[in-house]
Amino acid sequence: MAYEALDFYDIDSLLTEEERMVRDMVRDWVEDRVLPNIEDACRDGVFPDEWRVEIGEMGILGAPLKGYGCPGLSYIAYGLICQELERGDSGVRSFASVQGSLAMYPIWDFGSEEQKEKYLPGMAKGELVGCFGLTEPDYGSNPGDMITRAEDKGDHFLLNGAKMWITNGTIADLAVVWAKLEGEIRGFIVEKGDEGFSAPEMKGKHSLKASVTSELVFQDCKIPKDRILPSVKGLRGPFSCLNNARYGISWGAVGAAQSCFNSAREYALSRIQFGHPIASFQLVQNKLSWMLREITKGQLLAFHIGKKKDDGSWIPEQISLAKMNNVDMALEIARMSRDIHGANGILDEYPVMRHMANLESVKTYEGTHDIHNLILGRHITGIQSFTREP
Amino acid sequence: MGVAVLLKQVPDTTAKISISGGRVDEGSITKWSISPYDEYALENAIQLKEAGFGDVVAITCGPARAAKCLTEAAAVGADRLIHILTDSYLDSIQVQSLLSAAVKETGFEVVMCGKQAADTNSGSTGPGLASTLGFSCVGGVTGVSIDGGLAYATRLGPSGLEKVEVGGPCVFTFDKGDSELRRPNVRGIMMAKKKPIDSLLPNDLGIGDSNSMVVIKDHSSPPEKQPGQKFVGSESVPEVVEKLRGEANVI
Repeated sequence: MAYEALDFYDIDSLLTEEERMVRDMVRDWVEDRVLPNIEDACRDGVFPDEWRVEIGEMGILGAPLKGYGCPGLSYIAYGLICQELERGDSGVRSFASVQGSLAMYPIWDFGSEEQKEKYLPGMAKGELVGCFGLTEPDYGSNPGDMITRAEDKGDHFLLNGAKMWITNGTIADLAVVWAKLEGEIRGFIVEKGDEGFSAPEMKGKHSLKASVTSELVFQDCKIPKDRILPSVKGLRGPFSCLNNARYGISWGAVGAAQSCFNSAREYALSRIQFGHPIASFQLVQNKLSWMLREITKGQLLAFHIGKKKDDGSWIPEQISLAKMNNVDMALEIARMSRDIHGANGILDEYPVMRHMANLESVKTYEGTHDIHNLILGRHITGIQSFTREP
Repeated sequence: MGVAVLLKQVPDTTAKISISGGRVDEGSITKWSISPYDEYALENAIQLKEAGFGDVVAITCGPARAAKCLTEAAAVGADRLIHILTDSYLDSIQVQSLLSAAVKETGFEVVMCGKQAADTNSGSTGPGLASTLGFSCVGGVTGVSIDGGLAYATRLGPSGLEKVEVGGPCVFTFDKGDSELRRPNVRGIMMAKKKPIDSLLPNDLGIGDSNSMVVIKDHSSPPEKQPGQKFVGSESVPEVVEKLRGEANVI
């Protein structure tokens, strides 16, 4: 049966024809190429290279960026792309988020003309893969105290340190790495072949298994002087990137929730127990109704913040709200959906537990749930409560 | 030089169809698509364009919603888009007349379409068009190439692959083709937005769209499939054999 993406308040009618066509293009690709193969990819712990190529061919990487071969789509279109990719799998959407919002975006906004010309066109086609090095083994929610450092050696920079939890790291051609130069956070472009740089893959994940997660290790890593991002200093750099990725994730979570809701609804209508489909029982209807409410609210949040991204009237706290709310509700819906599927819900015949496991990572990365909570708390009260310092 | 591709918009083959008041409830159809065999015709036409054969004109006949087919065709490379706009129910002859008139205006001599539409499955449009236009017709092809003024169509024959050589104007009706259907990409979608659709009314082609010779009396759902019968244990074997012989007629 055709996939019916829940759209109870008819967001579809608010989209332009172009946005709808982009969404349908990605939805069809996910149906044809991801869904039949995702369980194998997940089981084997691989991100199939063909998907990188096909995603590149669709021209959806770096969706909202303009110029240098980038798509130049609206933020709504970017959101829809994330929604459809994540309906397939959060790992697939992570590939695109990292490539577009965390690797292409900083070069586009903070790079030199030469850097933009050199990297962006190839990245837009998926021919050059990028990753984003901010998080360290000992510095996650507190990136400001990072210890990866860069030293100016006259004719080159020398990088030392390590990054962890880096999506795409092992397959990346370049990494946008944030390190302290004389105590101040700057962005550096490290390329795969640079001396002293390695990107081993992290193994043993129970979540985002169809995604490449890596460490980035810098041991006296020498990079040419022209690799520094000239136009940004401090945490503003990485945080701008994260805001873009978080926006996409708020839509992606809706896609994962829609997938789990769809599966639960179809299962409930066909599963007979005590002589009736379980969809006829009140407790099941209560759960489905809750899911419908939360997905609808999440869609409206995502759509509205998308409009604000497009007209420039947004603030970061609004994105924190959308990311936090939508990922939260998606994880609850995945769990509830598993419950409705009964024992069958643990099989990979259904997508629910895969989404459930993935969403644990999505709830943690790009700002944990708790951190976004405190971002909003600071906005409401004017008082920061991240640390004990005044 | 160039190819005219005929596209029909049909309910998506996976969409649920419901009947209301003795008629298919169009409002309940959540997804409309280009009829699958037509997609293979379009793919082949775009390949011919890429080989230098000329432009691709996509033509559809139907209500306003059918324009979506043309935009989808433009997103994968169709150059010109023609929409014969009508809300009326048309019989086969009317469809063939309208499409023929539109094809004639393009001056193109190669026409491609699916061998049958996914909703009506009648398969008469291609041959009927060929007859009206005085073109040849090769049916059920999987691929068409053009070389030195001649067209070469491949199709499955009773004992293997057939290669048919055609000189002169021809209608090719497509089965599932050899090639994978290309996906649109963002660039194609953005360019498709800019492509105008030539909207024509049947009267503009000198053909009326009333007085269909066929009148639909009603639609009804096919009978529900009977649940299967279950037999347990080796004692039931004689009964099963009897039913297979007497009821199912398979022995």
